Amino acid sequence: MLALEPANRIINDLLTEKFIKPSSLDQAFVDFDSVRYHLSTPTKKTQLLLSMDIPCWGELVQYGALEVIQREYGQFVTETEQDYAVSLLIDTETVPEAGEARTALITSFSLLKRNALAAPFERAFARQKELEAKGPPGENEVVEKEQLMGVHYRPEEAIYLLPSPDRVTIIFSTIFKEETDRIFGRVFLQEFVDARRRPSCQTAPQVLYSNREPPLEIRHLQGLADGENVGYVTFVLFPRHFSSAETAFSTITQIQLFRDYLHYHIKCSKAYMHSRMRQRVAQFLKVLNRAKPEPAGEKERKTASGRSFVRS
Amino acid sequence: MSNTLRPYLACVRSTLTAALTLESFPSQVAERHNVAEIEAQSTPEVLLTPLLISRNSSEQVLIEPSINSVRLSIRIKQADDIERILAHKFTRFLMMRAEAFVVLRRVPVKGYDISFLVTNRNVEEMMKHKLVDFVIEFMEAVDKEISEAKLSLNARARIVAESFLSSFA
Amino acid sequence: MAGLAPVVLDNGTGSAKMGFAGNSDPSFVLPSCIATRGGNAASSSRAPAVPNKPSSLGSGGHLASKRGIDDLDFFIGHEALEHSKTYSVNYPIRHGQIEDWDQMERYWEQCIFKYLRCEPEDHDFLLTEPPLNAPENREATAEIMFESFNVKGLYIAVQAVLALAASWSSAKVTDRTLTGTVIDSGDGVTHVIPVAEGYVIGSAIRHIPIAGRDISSFVQQLLRERGETGIPPEDSLRVAEKIKEDYSYVCGDMVKEFGKYDKDPSKFFALYEGLDTRTGKAYKVDVGYERFLAPEIFFNPEIASSDFLTPLPDVVDQVIQNSPIDVRRGLYNNIVLSGGSTMFDHFGRRLQRDLKHIVDTRIQTSEALSGGLMRSTGVNVNVVTHKKQRYAVWFGGSLLASTPEFHGYCHSKADYDEVGPSLVRRFAIFGSATN
Repeated sequence: MLALEPANRIINDLLTEKFIKPSSLDQAFVDFDSVRYHLSTPTKKTQLLLSMDIPCWGELVQYGALEVIQREYGQFVTETEQDYAVSLLIDTETVPEAGEARTALITSFSLLKRNALAAPFERAFARQKELEAKGPPGENEVVEKEQLMGVHYRPEEAIYLLPSPDRVTIIFSTIFKEETDRIFGRVFLQEFVDARRRPSCQTAPQVLYSNREPPLEIRHLQGLADGENVGYVTFVLFPRHFSSAETAFSTITQIQLFRDYLHYHIKCSKAYMHSRMRQRVAQFLKVLNRAKPEPAGEKERKTASGRSFVRS
Repeated sequence: MSNTLRPYLACVRSTLTAALTLESFPSQVAERHNVAEIEAQSTPEVLLTPLLISRNSSEQVLIEPSINSVRLSIRIKQADDIERILAHKFTRFLMMRAEAFVVLRRVPVKGYDISFLVTNRNVEEMMKHKLVDFVIEFMEAVDKEISEAKLSLNARARIVAESFLSSFA
Repeated sequence: MAGLAPVVLDNGTGSAKMGFAGNSDPSFVLPSCIATRGGNAASSSRAPAVPNKPSSLGSGGHLASKRGIDDLDFFIGHEALEHSKTYSVNYPIRHGQIEDWDQMERYWEQCIFKYLRCEPEDHDFLLTEPPLNAPENREATAEIMFESFNVKGLYIAVQAVLALAASWSSAKVTDRTLTGTVIDSGDGVTHVIPVAEGYVIGSAIRHIPIAGRDISSFVQQLLRERGETGIPPEDSLRVAEKIKEDYSYVCGDMVKEFGKYDKDPSKFFALYEGLDTRTGKAYKVDVGYERFLAPEIFFNPEIASSDFLTPLPDVVDQVIQNSPIDVRRGLYNNIVLSGGSTMFDHFGRRLQRDLKHIVDTRIQTSEALSGGLMRSTGVNVNVVTHKKQRYAVWFGGSLLASTPEFHGYCHSKADYDEVGPSLVRRFAIFGSATN
């Protein structure tokens, strides 16, 4: 598994199961970035209530998350369950027959987090189009500073989005709590920066990485974390990355998962290092055990003719 | 094998072989005890002069002989942060399994990355020249492992980054 | 991040149960298997390698060729079985113990990132271990969990203790005690484990080589002997499993039950209808005596096996008699069932009846031997059955991990960095009302 899936598997599995055979249910679970879900049947078996909470909901609402949710899930949006940010009510009796339509519906529910988090991106893309259409400002026109959108999706980390006439800049502030992660992370990020030189990534957004030093776009912000383990990753998205609805959709999906993707691979690398080390240990032990003389008797003779002692 | 590595290892090999001339030696401090004198450091007259073999400032081997035990500590080459963390992880991983490596010390001597402690008992039970072989092979393999691990980390990072970025239209 | 639920992972020999604390069912139940590309890379660590020349140590072929991300090319669970044609499928856990750490580490990778989708930094983890697990295995688990995954906190609990905790959900249980006998019967093996105040009495544990898989093959054998020809050969084990799960129950008396069936076959014989997985044709199978014979092999093992002949109630009795005398009463009083193979109807009732019989006989004998001078106050035998039996271990974990004090009992990442893997040799027992 190289890339992470954008959809939540638990939602997907549970809905698939419950649409076929409704039964009472009460499950709380999570998704990346401290998102909490609750899928339950509070009133009766056929009424599934899917609630989601995301820590940065307040910010997302400012950037139009409600509209996005309304657009994606219109008829399902219902009164919000306590302690959650948004709730959808699904009636299993009215879902489409098994088949493509139903699969599509289930997929769309399991993308709930993605869609909520997509709001600021969509807004930034739209704003960029506006700015581009307006053309360059005249000589004497006072250029209003573009609003910087910050999404504090984790306690110490945030995404900043800044639309400008020819691009959208997306800045991730990252923090590595652990020394190994920090060093591995830096190796990975350096490769992200360099990857663009390769032919397969020519069209990819430009990536910049700076350690400790915040990029110009957000330098004026207050309260940015400081320290050796803080880093900033900047993606520069050009209009071609969100020219059509589909590309915009996949770009948003992809870039949202950036942090999780990075951390997933850091962890996989550590797991890989572990497996290397295990092999190494086995090899070393083999060498050390050669130093132990074989038990006397028959074995001894075997040693003299055996190939285990043939060496250059 | 680069040309400075060979004499370095040869030197470690001959020094260690010489140092592994061990005999059982009852403790002079506690009756009916037989402890590794190099660890106890309680009887100065049975400790021999420690020897430092150094290839360069970052790669050194300290051999501390005594009458019944030898302590060998290795400082592994660490050119940058990545190598440092890999070396640290690797030695820790090994020392976690010190039980299986009879001669490995659970904690390195201060200032070094990994230490071995060979006692007269070990030398009696195992073949001495093979034990020396093990240490030498270990030293060779550690460097190789760390540089290989570093390369593979870079390779992974490259593939990971490429696959992430190439999925953008 | 106090708000995020702890993750409960129960990795068993046959299947892994995973989910979040506070739920009553695991979010995923997957077969404990992993499908990897090229079996030789994985097995080379175990296979005896050709002795290398000293200088070639390390340039071993697979190490160099593994430079890349081949190690991410694998599947777990059902997906692993689907890919069994092009990948080699392995079960990293054998007899409850993790055998292949490389594969287990990767298994967890996907558990966490593909299925549960959580960030291990933000969650406490509750893992389970079999009774008598070596402390080294715990350390290796902790090493993976803390160093690879940076989990926030880790608690490793013994499966039997969690099964006891799960029985608190039963209405019959009034005091939340961690003393009792656990009968854990999964797919591969059945354990009878006495637990006193949260600690397993290791010396008294018994294993019974009869478990789910044996029952299925017994049913399969019965069907074959009766000449149920309608079953396609490749489906026969699956059909046997289905019959075991859907139709079987424990009877009170085998002979009487045979009589009942013979008198009125139409009332008791059932009909199983299946579809041939290959041709898609429908077929029918009569389900007869195997309905009650299948679980009967726990109580009369001689009908299926020739090398293990002690009935389950006798084993339980022996286990308790082998335990320290001061806990025996508690052990008789709280016998808890766990695992899929204890799910048969009336299983608990039959066990309780047979065990009570053994105990009462013994008491009577000793009363008689004392010449009527001693009167026993009697021993309560109590077998607890509850709804969560199938995933009892997981459910017990979920129950314990959802308590507010759970976090305090976890070992944290900071502790691990300070002390190292030996930290996990001890975990405080908690959750019981008696301590």
